[in-house]
Amino acid sequence: MGFKDHRDFFELLEKEGELLRIKEEVDWDLEVGAIGRRVYELSGPCLLFERIKDYPEGFRISNGTSGTWSRVALALGLPKSASVREIYKAYEKGLEKKIPPKIVRKEEAPCKENIMVGDEVDLYRFPAPMIHEGDGGRYIGTWDIVICKDPDTGWTNWGMYRFMVHTKDWLTGWPQSTSQLALIFKEKYQPKNRPMPIAIVIGADPVSHILATAPIKVQESEVDYVGGIRGEPVELVPCETIDLLVPAHCEIVIEGELMPDKIAPDGPFGEYPGYRSGTMCQGVAVKVRAVTYRNDPILTMISLGTPPDDSSIAASLTAAVSMKRGLLNRGIPVTDVYVPPEGVTHLIVVGVKKGGIDIARRVLDYFTTRRVMTNKHIVVDEDVDVFNMGEVLHAFATKCHPGRGIAYEWYEGRANSLTPFYSPEERRRLKGVSVVFDCTWPPEWPDEIIPVKASFNSIYSKEIQEKVIRNWGRYGFK
Amino acid sequence: MAKQWQTFVGKFRDMREGEIKIFIKDLTPGPRKYDTKFVRAIVKRSKESLPDGDILYIRSESGLKSPEPWYIKIIEELPEYVPGKPWEDVFQAIEKIENII
Repeated sequence: MGFKDHRDFFELLEKEGELLRIKEEVDWDLEVGAIGRRVYELSGPCLLFERIKDYPEGFRISNGTSGTWSRVALALGLPKSASVREIYKAYEKGLEKKIPPKIVRKEEAPCKENIMVGDEVDLYRFPAPMIHEGDGGRYIGTWDIVICKDPDTGWTNWGMYRFMVHTKDWLTGWPQSTSQLALIFKEKYQPKNRPMPIAIVIGADPVSHILATAPIKVQESEVDYVGGIRGEPVELVPCETIDLLVPAHCEIVIEGELMPDKIAPDGPFGEYPGYRSGTMCQGVAVKVRAVTYRNDPILTMISLGTPPDDSSIAASLTAAVSMKRGLLNRGIPVTDVYVPPEGVTHLIVVGVKKGGIDIARRVLDYFTTRRVMTNKHIVVDEDVDVFNMGEVLHAFATKCHPGRGIAYEWYEGRANSLTPFYSPEERRRLKGVSVVFDCTWPPEWPDEIIPVKASFNSIYSKEIQEKVIRNWGRYGFK
Repeated sequence: MAKQWQTFVGKFRDMREGEIKIFIKDLTPGPRKYDTKFVRAIVKRSKESLPDGDILYIRSESGLKSPEPWYIKIIEELPEYVPGKPWEDVFQAIEKIENII
């Protein structure tokens, strides 16, 4: 059985030495962000800030719940020493089973312990952090789950998008205009000029947040997969003012309506690619109708930036497994896909059974057909461990022909505008380009001319390898 | 001491003097710091041009702070949003309502 809430998970993190409670008073205005950022960069623990300046005791902020592979392993019920490959495999297996959520009564939902409705709503009662110096405002939604629903089919989408406190009862945010949230809004609400109900969930169980980063297919609900991975249904409770269901055990729920005819500034914000790259004032505005929250609420934060952090680690897992499924569905002979956190979902490594530039072009087609979040794709033969970036770099350096082994494709209206190297004009037009590097041997080369990799595992016979391994200790190695 | 505000522009040169509609953030310390207001205001580059004005810090789209502050005198507070469609450029939406008036 998985974790029901954020607090269960913190108990385990504490036992495993993965949580630091900071009892010293800290300032929500830049100090918590700076501490969180430094801790990511030092591969430090998850943080729980217990005393926040300007706020009553009990109002807390956490950072880095899933900011390392060891904490993601623990979230998935694995030992913290699990390898990245093992974590990917466990997650992939977890996705094979879906368990629908269970609806509970309001009395059973800790997130209803406190309720503010209508004029009582005041977002400044929460210590929303000013995360980076120069951000556009206080981001209350970073490690969040944003829930919306297709009113015709009932499909409920969970995503992770940034949301900033605009005033005491307005939020502004920036779900990308190509996101599933945008798709639902543009197809089902905008044509009727109707506001779209939206719930911003803060501090749910760790798997729910990880799944909120997952590119799950349209009309499939992330919450069913969370149940499958956890091995039990997620308990959901109805919102107070809108027709949506939210995790009953989460810390804070902001209920609101995304307005079809009103906008206000969002951003800029230091985003997941590791830069604050000028995406601002092109988002959405949400009128907040209610806020419900637990006693002593924990506001979950990511001091987002250069990798690794929760975003780059979680997206590495969820994006890669989704990409692998998508490529296999297209008949591409994929062995594994790795999204190195350092590549912030801009750089993808694809292992294939049989390569060549035609296969590489098919890989590129897959990544550029719909909305494009990636831009560099390295295709390697199956003898390269995609999780070992040393091996990947070696293949790139030695097997990618600069003339014949590189293909690229331009597109417009579907690029990732957070990509730092795009010009302001390209970002505005969502114009982008993606490239594939074919680091495989050409399939038309006969075996006898393919260069033999001079590694222990490939240039020696099995007999010699086994002899050397058998005698290793006798040579004097320990 | 003069009250302090902050606003964002694409590039510093986009900031213009005169009577304008502008989103500003209140820099007064405390739990409501960074609260946003949409106002009609007079903004000037120099303090001499607006001696009773508040301080207005300017930041660019990348969050870079302009070395010198501007000055602002609020004439009227407006609703906290501007008419426009989601994902529309807020600056262009402000221009539209300024042109209507």
